[in-house]
Amino acid sequence: MKSLPLIFLGVFFTLAFSWTGIVLTSQIQLKEFTPATPDLVDSQDQPAPGGKYLVDGETIKNTPGMTANPQPLVGEAQRGKLVYQQMGCLYCHSQQVRRQGFGADFERGWGQRQSVPRDYIEQDRVMLGTMRTGPDLTNVGLRYSELWQFQHLYDPQITSPGSIMPPYGFLFEVREISPLTGPSAEAIELPEAYQPPAGYEVVPSRRAKDLVAYLMSLHQDYELPEIKFTQ
Amino acid sequence: MSSNPSLLQSLSPTGDADISLKARLGEVDASMRKPAMLFLVSAVFWLLLGTVFALVAAIKATNPDFLGGTEWLTFGRVRSAHLNAMIFGWGNNVIFAVAPWIMGRLSRARIRHTSILLIAGIFWNIAVTVGIFGILRGDMIGVEWLEMPSYAAPLIIITYALVGVWVIIAFRWRQTDHVYVSQWYLLAAFFWLPWLYTVAQIMLIFEPATGVVQSLTNWWFAHNVLGLWLTPIALGVAYYLIPKVLGRPIHSYYLSVVGFWALALFYNWAGVHHLIGGPVPAWVISAGTVASVMMVIPVLVVGINHHLTVVGLHKEGWASPTIRFVMFGAINYTFVSLTGSLMALRHVNEVTHFTHFTVGHAHHGVYAFFTMIMFGAVYYMMPRLLLREWPNAFLIKVHWWMAGMGILLMVVALQVGGWIQGLQMNALNEDGTPVYSSFIQIVENTRPWLWLRSLSGLMILIGHLAFGVNVFWMIFSRRRAGEQTAPTLLSPTTEQA
Amino acid sequence: MDWGQYILIGFVFACLFFLGAALALHWAHRHGQLTNLEKGAQSIFDEDEPMGEITDAFPRKRRKKKN
Repeated sequence: MKSLPLIFLGVFFTLAFSWTGIVLTSQIQLKEFTPATPDLVDSQDQPAPGGKYLVDGETIKNTPGMTANPQPLVGEAQRGKLVYQQMGCLYCHSQQVRRQGFGADFERGWGQRQSVPRDYIEQDRVMLGTMRTGPDLTNVGLRYSELWQFQHLYDPQITSPGSIMPPYGFLFEVREISPLTGPSAEAIELPEAYQPPAGYEVVPSRRAKDLVAYLMSLHQDYELPEIKFTQ
Repeated sequence: MSSNPSLLQSLSPTGDADISLKARLGEVDASMRKPAMLFLVSAVFWLLLGTVFALVAAIKATNPDFLGGTEWLTFGRVRSAHLNAMIFGWGNNVIFAVAPWIMGRLSRARIRHTSILLIAGIFWNIAVTVGIFGILRGDMIGVEWLEMPSYAAPLIIITYALVGVWVIIAFRWRQTDHVYVSQWYLLAAFFWLPWLYTVAQIMLIFEPATGVVQSLTNWWFAHNVLGLWLTPIALGVAYYLIPKVLGRPIHSYYLSVVGFWALALFYNWAGVHHLIGGPVPAWVISAGTVASVMMVIPVLVVGINHHLTVVGLHKEGWASPTIRFVMFGAINYTFVSLTGSLMALRHVNEVTHFTHFTVGHAHHGVYAFFTMIMFGAVYYMMPRLLLREWPNAFLIKVHWWMAGMGILLMVVALQVGGWIQGLQMNALNEDGTPVYSSFIQIVENTRPWLWLRSLSGLMILIGHLAFGVNVFWMIFSRRRAGEQTAPTLLSPTTEQA
Repeated sequence: MDWGQYILIGFVFACLFFLGAALALHWAHRHGQLTNLEKGAQSIFDEDEPMGEITDAFPRKRRKKKN
């Protein structure tokens, strides 16, 4: 065992092999994906069966007049995603629904269908997550109101007593109610036990509003050519 | 010894008679003293800091209000600071201390151009400091194991390059005919990591890949940091230290070589088992599962080899701090890898995925296996570099018992708790409704186990403090090895005698 | 492409892979890489640290013995 080049060749080959297989092949496979309507039509606008874009050399396209999904994040929600990232939310929350029969994601109400690669093509940073210390958030935008989200972020015990989620009180400002303009329209309602001292109000900061906008934007409630709702 | 070759000469040895003499082991040790001490002291510092981060995060997981008002110390950030301090602060520093030293010893060549290593050491610690500061500040990147902000990346890549160049120099100057199996592992690891890291940086941060290809790249990288960096280094160290301490060659050298190539081939592919059930191409998952199961081969090979080398010398092994730590790590390598193979099976993964079971598994691998072996290496290396004895045997024992029992408690607590958590999340009534319809109920049920984890963290902290005290006591003590009979030391080389 | 083509391509690659492995093994055998494998295990010992000698123990234990 003296040959250095031989060792290097083997060592190089093994890693190149897995990179080609896992990363490169998937990239080639997925880079063609575009947002799609639930059903596809052929060049004569007749329904085209199957989830493929190209069948027997004929071009299949999205149904005209229908919305193609997924759609990219914009504005507040886009900024909110950065807050999600900076607070490390992904270490306790996943954003992927497993298929029916594999785990109990459907039964827990986390989704109506399995998540598929196309759901993520518009995301600049994909945070599928690997932990469910807290519930899955794929469709969290469909489950709660904005007020619930604000209260929950301010102190999770308000909405979910017994939760071990960290409180994000530092994303809110407790400030004196202005004697001139009166209580702010943005101030959040809180149950009695959590209310600030009299004459004060709790107002979400820019980041809290962005984060809630992001959470409210999370949904996979559309069908795609390759995946339909499971009932 | 007198002439000092230039860097260029070192990269391309031409056979200067004076400097190509086979170095004695004592000389190799002496030449490594400065860089190894720099790396080691940094490593111990990061180890202690990382342990404190870990304990804070662990307490927060049961008592979210603990330090809850401080943004910099919110759970998501402390957890990432802990991970990065441990992997990049402790892990890489201790590797940069131990691996070149073992490489030098096996190559029978004095460590030359230590300035490269010293510069690398300084760069590295600046990079980790900047990275962890960035994480706490909120510049964290939402990619597991790559949280350090991108402004830390160039320094990290430069350091990898410096250390990599250095390792190749050391290897090219080897004065031995045979390339020992540890050298294979070390060389391969030093080649793999910079490559992995650079590709991951490019495909995830500078030019992010499409959609879930990011997740695939993420787990290809993150699992391979364990599989192609920490694991081969720790195995290389164990393959050197076990036979070295016991004075008995490895049981089957042939098996060790088979094990190396099996690991190189299969471990690469295993990482995607973190995405089982996820929105990624199904065939990739299948390949990952197959590779994870195939890992049983190299694992059993290594396990058999290490075990059979020690057989019959258990008493001597128990009397050696190095062997105690290294064997603890080696035995846990077998256990953690077999658990890992099982976890990659779809039906097991259905339960363990998304639970604390995986967290327990990660600590089992990185701590009970990798870190314990590196502790063993430090216990062997320090007396030889400083030519003085470990000041206190009791502290070594405290370290071993606290770290060893602490990590076992942690793994058991997280894996039992995680298994229960997984079962409860998936449990369905006959009518198809969840048995534990309230998610909070499941969270409450994991709490006692998370408490146990905090307790185990406290034990480990005590162990680390004992280790830290011993290390600094040793560095600052004035006693020389010659002044006492030094059991952990060898007879001094002719030069020193 | 249908499944038959995938399997055909896979088969060709598997054959190439196998052939490569066989050639590499043959090369290794011819160049003596596979002979005397176990001797390598002893390369870590020398006159400074000979085989058969335990080189590590807790600091206090043996000092007592020697005193």
